[in-house]
Amino acid sequence: MGTKKITIEPVTRIEGHAKVTIHLKEDGDVERAYLHINEFRGFEKFCEGRMYFELPSIMPRICGICPVSHHLASAKTCDQLVGAEPPRPASLLRELMHMGQIVQSHGMHFFELAGPDLLLGFDANPATRNVVGLIQANPALALKAVALRKFGQEIIKTLGGRKVHPSFAVPGGVNKALRPAERDGILAGLKDAMLTTRLGIDLIKDWTTRNRQDVERFAVFPSGYFGLTTPQGSLELYQGECRLVDRQGNLLEQFPASRYLDYIAEHVEDWSYLKFPYYKKMGFPQGAYRVGPLGRLNVADQIDTPEAHAEFKIFKGLNGGRPVEHTLYYHYARLIETLFALERIEILLNDPDILSTDIVNTKKTMQREAVGVIEAPRGTLFHHYRINENGQVEKVNLIVSTGHNNWAMNMAVDSVARTYISGQRVHEGLLNRVEAAVRAYDPCLSCSTHALGQMPILIDIVDSSGTTVETLRRD
Amino acid sequence: MVNLTIDGQEVSVSEGTTVLRAAQAAGITIPTLCDHKHLSPFGGCRMCLVEVEGSRTLQPSCTLPAGNKMVVLTNTPRVREAHTFVLTLLFSERNHFCMYCPVSGGDCELQNAAYGEGMTHWPLEPNWQPYAVDASNPNFVLDNNRCILCRRCIRACGELVGNFTLGVEERGASTLVIADLGIPLGESTCINCGTCVQVCPTGAIIDRASAYMGREKDMTHVLSTCPTCSIGCGIDMVVRDNHLLRVDGVWNAAISEGLLCEQGRFEPLKETRERITTPLVRKDGTLKAATWDEALGAVTERLKPLSGTNGKGAGGIEPIAAMASTRLTAEALHDFEQLFGHKLHAGIVTSTETGTRPAGMAATSPQGSLDALKTSDCVVVVGADLTNQQQVAGFFIKRRLGSDSGGMKLVVIDSGENRLAALAHYALKPIKDGDFELVMGLTAAVVKTRLAKGPAPHSDLSRYTAEATFERTGVTPETLATVAQDIAGAQRPVFVYGSSIAGGETGRMAKALIDLAALTGAQTPPIGALGQANSLAASRYTLDKPFTLQDQQVVFLALGDEKITPALLQKLDSRAELKIRPFLVVQASYVSPVTAMADVVLPVEMWVEQEGHFVNLEGRLLDVRRGLTPPAEVWSNTKALESIAARLGTPLDKEWQEELAL
Amino acid sequence: MAKPTISTDWLAGCAGCEMSLLDIDERIVKVAELVEIRSTPITDLKEPDLNGVDVGILTGAVNNTTNQEVAHRMRSRCKTLVALGDCAVFGGVVAMRNFFKLDDALRRAYVEAESNDGESKVPSSPELARPVEVRALGEEVKVDVNVPGCPPDADVIFYVLSELAQGRKPVLKGDTLQWQ
Repeated sequence: MGTKKITIEPVTRIEGHAKVTIHLKEDGDVERAYLHINEFRGFEKFCEGRMYFELPSIMPRICGICPVSHHLASAKTCDQLVGAEPPRPASLLRELMHMGQIVQSHGMHFFELAGPDLLLGFDANPATRNVVGLIQANPALALKAVALRKFGQEIIKTLGGRKVHPSFAVPGGVNKALRPAERDGILAGLKDAMLTTRLGIDLIKDWTTRNRQDVERFAVFPSGYFGLTTPQGSLELYQGECRLVDRQGNLLEQFPASRYLDYIAEHVEDWSYLKFPYYKKMGFPQGAYRVGPLGRLNVADQIDTPEAHAEFKIFKGLNGGRPVEHTLYYHYARLIETLFALERIEILLNDPDILSTDIVNTKKTMQREAVGVIEAPRGTLFHHYRINENGQVEKVNLIVSTGHNNWAMNMAVDSVARTYISGQRVHEGLLNRVEAAVRAYDPCLSCSTHALGQMPILIDIVDSSGTTVETLRRD
Repeated sequence: MVNLTIDGQEVSVSEGTTVLRAAQAAGITIPTLCDHKHLSPFGGCRMCLVEVEGSRTLQPSCTLPAGNKMVVLTNTPRVREAHTFVLTLLFSERNHFCMYCPVSGGDCELQNAAYGEGMTHWPLEPNWQPYAVDASNPNFVLDNNRCILCRRCIRACGELVGNFTLGVEERGASTLVIADLGIPLGESTCINCGTCVQVCPTGAIIDRASAYMGREKDMTHVLSTCPTCSIGCGIDMVVRDNHLLRVDGVWNAAISEGLLCEQGRFEPLKETRERITTPLVRKDGTLKAATWDEALGAVTERLKPLSGTNGKGAGGIEPIAAMASTRLTAEALHDFEQLFGHKLHAGIVTSTETGTRPAGMAATSPQGSLDALKTSDCVVVVGADLTNQQQVAGFFIKRRLGSDSGGMKLVVIDSGENRLAALAHYALKPIKDGDFELVMGLTAAVVKTRLAKGPAPHSDLSRYTAEATFERTGVTPETLATVAQDIAGAQRPVFVYGSSIAGGETGRMAKALIDLAALTGAQTPPIGALGQANSLAASRYTLDKPFTLQDQQVVFLALGDEKITPALLQKLDSRAELKIRPFLVVQASYVSPVTAMADVVLPVEMWVEQEGHFVNLEGRLLDVRRGLTPPAEVWSNTKALESIAARLGTPLDKEWQEELAL
Repeated sequence: MAKPTISTDWLAGCAGCEMSLLDIDERIVKVAELVEIRSTPITDLKEPDLNGVDVGILTGAVNNTTNQEVAHRMRSRCKTLVALGDCAVFGGVVAMRNFFKLDDALRRAYVEAESNDGESKVPSSPELARPVEVRALGEEVKVDVNVPGCPPDADVIFYVLSELAQGRKPVLKGDTLQWQ
């Protein structure tokens, strides 16, 4: 038998459409593994000709998981197009909505998507290795997880009228003020959300301790890291400066989002609709870096909220002060950020300006081009628009969170495949580990497939002549 | 009367009523898309099809006259099937992306119609043909993708506004709504009144300022009166979280009947001035934030010594000059007049419109009625370019100049530029500023026709012969005679005068027009198309003295949200040359060069915040309602004025209606 | 009687419908009692059972050759096919791509985008699906139940699932009928 190819399609429990192919050498060792992002949608093109003020409503349709991030990144870009800085209360409310989004997205990812792997085991029966199985195995925990996600979603609905694809941010501000009863309603749920997040942190710490071997060899590789921080280098998810560090943690660049084209370029591979962003000065793939919770905690010097900062100090010690390279620590980083988001929610809700009705700046001085940035749950999100003199869109360019991690996901898949599939008979639990490597990045392939899309698993073993000699199914 | 049965219900309507209107009168809903109660029936969308007993095919109820003993069914399976079919075709023709459309979820009549029929999907696929988006207008966007070709916008533009900008380019399914002959709206004859935005049933014409600014359920609607000019159009202030999102016309408002001009509809949303949110008092040369107590104290400290002088100060100069904006409510203007006129006996108590209205004329009651324009057969406009002032009155005239004019004649007399002249049957442009001469010549010529239905004026017309008029105005005797013939022969002539008559002539011009109106048997006195919202009230409070500063000790300006004109600034700048620098108190909403030179600034409400009344140019009392809550330290104009009076120990009476001659 | 089986899958969409499904929150326990959930993007079975499921639910528009295969496979393996969300029902936002030439859209993303490096080209590996003109699911295969909304509200989804679980065809009207 010649070389074999293993296909995992779709990759499940991630948001979007992808498949993995693993090419094996004759001896059964992995030659190379690929993560194919299998869909193209074309937002960059079809927004052309639309009005700039429609974009905060069109762009969220890139992704139903982090619609708030696209909504806000778009509105932030539009703020600059109309030359109107949002009043402080509007920025607070936008950040509040964004923190709701971080909580719901991170919470869902940890408990409902990654949770089955961590809590039921990579080798559990695939028919029950899911959120329903989790409910059956541990209903109390599952309901807490549901409640955590609901807490985040309710914040979004309170401000934006609905949980998915809300309408809230507008150029120069937001379209609704927060009422006192609404604030109190959110505050009332904060304690439980905090407890559940704490529970998650205990779970992941316990899990990583018990599975140290997995953690240490599961998709561990060096890379650069990228994320927003405050000017003082603190973790920042709503607005800040772009910061890039190398594999040792040394600061390579710190720059405002408006200059992203000077620092970041995107590489296209023939086998994926998802592009590969990289640090321009180093080229591809040497300049590839990681974003998202791991990336952000690796670029940050501290966290400005006490509970999250306490965990952050533990996190920083995991790799002797150097950036944490372990893919599975994404889960820990994600929960630290959830803690941060909850603490921010409390701070925001207690800000005297949060109930203000000074929520929109309508004094416009139109500009023709602008770049907006935000830290979406999965990483840094850039929106870049150019409009004509009437406000119609001429050009849209997007670099989405998951895109930044494209190279890393491929590295992770390749690394896991090499670790777990060397010359052995291929069995389902190993394949799920490959998927888990992808899943750790919590890829939002809906986002990525603004230009792309989809993940379901079917394994074809193909000989060197291209003939399928064996098919493994996962049902 | 016609008696018919609709869905088993006996309905009685007057002859000529359509089945649709008869059903509506009886409280029966027939879905429609192209119908609009203020527009002529079009019969284009076919949503309103009904079953009529004895008729083989379904009939469009919007164009079908109700007939005696007619039996109509509006909700049969056949009718409902037709609704779904009509909607299916509409959705297949263009590109309706509800998910990001600003009118989705309440405001879209197309979406609501589909919901009404329980449509869960489009049975026919759209053809995915893209249509042009015209974003060249500064106030709204025309997106032909969402257009259902109901032609409401086109009918509104012609039938209501009389602008006839919008039309269609007929190309079957690709028929487009276009401006003029297919040029961008921004380069067209469009006057940006936005009536098309208000009638559009879908998101095809959307307002830039309010798009996405709030959800319908979070909005409140406050009905009030437009503060822009003296017509007093009804406005619906759409408010959310103490922000004004949009201004709509009110369809059942007296006079304006839903119409607004660009100034009334869109300009309020473009306010960029900086708000004054706290009283300011000048200390050591600079204005510093102060409490109301401090600020009022500083004002009354200056006024108190002057309150006993009965108007005469040192050197015979009356020590106080006071001016109020004609955008303030009648209640505020009355307080102002009471305080500065009756209590402080200020030398100058006037308004920002001093000289605009003919002296002594304002008190004349009744004033001309704007409704008369809607039925007149001959309108004579003198010195008023109704395309940029009192525009809605211009709409009433322009809309009757189309094919359905009913034979109305328009005469425009203006020695200056007047864009209405281009539309007039007779555009008379007298030379040598001879407007008055021409009106007198015309009066003489009308008398000469012997067709006049009213009394000849007492004034001596002998010097206004046709020849002399030609000499003085350049208008030939032949033209004069022809115009006079039309005016004299008119059954319902209406005369309108404006402010572009050279200042000093307004009074005698108004008098001349009153005479001419009487002569021609006009049912309404001349309409004075002049001034801002409360211009007439200010006149009736006799706030009409010239504002010429001499050596006053205190100057008090109750400016409200008035935009500062160069003329006003110039008058105030001249203070620098005065021997005594007067103490300047400015009661205003926004920061301006005037507040910058003030000694005390009192922050007061702007138009959306104030409540009270306006008196429009007809002398009609109109409600002004509060749409927004002012910032904490901003007071109403009345509260500010009454507090000053109270501190001076001279409380004001509240009989603001007495002098208005309502 | 055995519980009805449900499989779901996504085509070209944004996962917003799936999020709205999760927004039924604790009611998911009830759904789990009423139906047997088979393959879905958030569970690990990859395809609807070969011997068929009672209800198939698809979200997203048909946007490429893989979507077409998934749509036909689901149709052939389910008794009742539900199009969930505006993309599946109408084509959705992604259908705006139909206003442009597909090649222009691909070139914009992979060749012309400001951030692309000089070596960019449109991906064309045989591993990848080939984009096609975007269509609503109902234009590709027969759909039994359309549930519009971008996304449909969680309450609407719960109602639809409850009805289907009890063997009834859901009827959307009034508050449950929302396109936006």
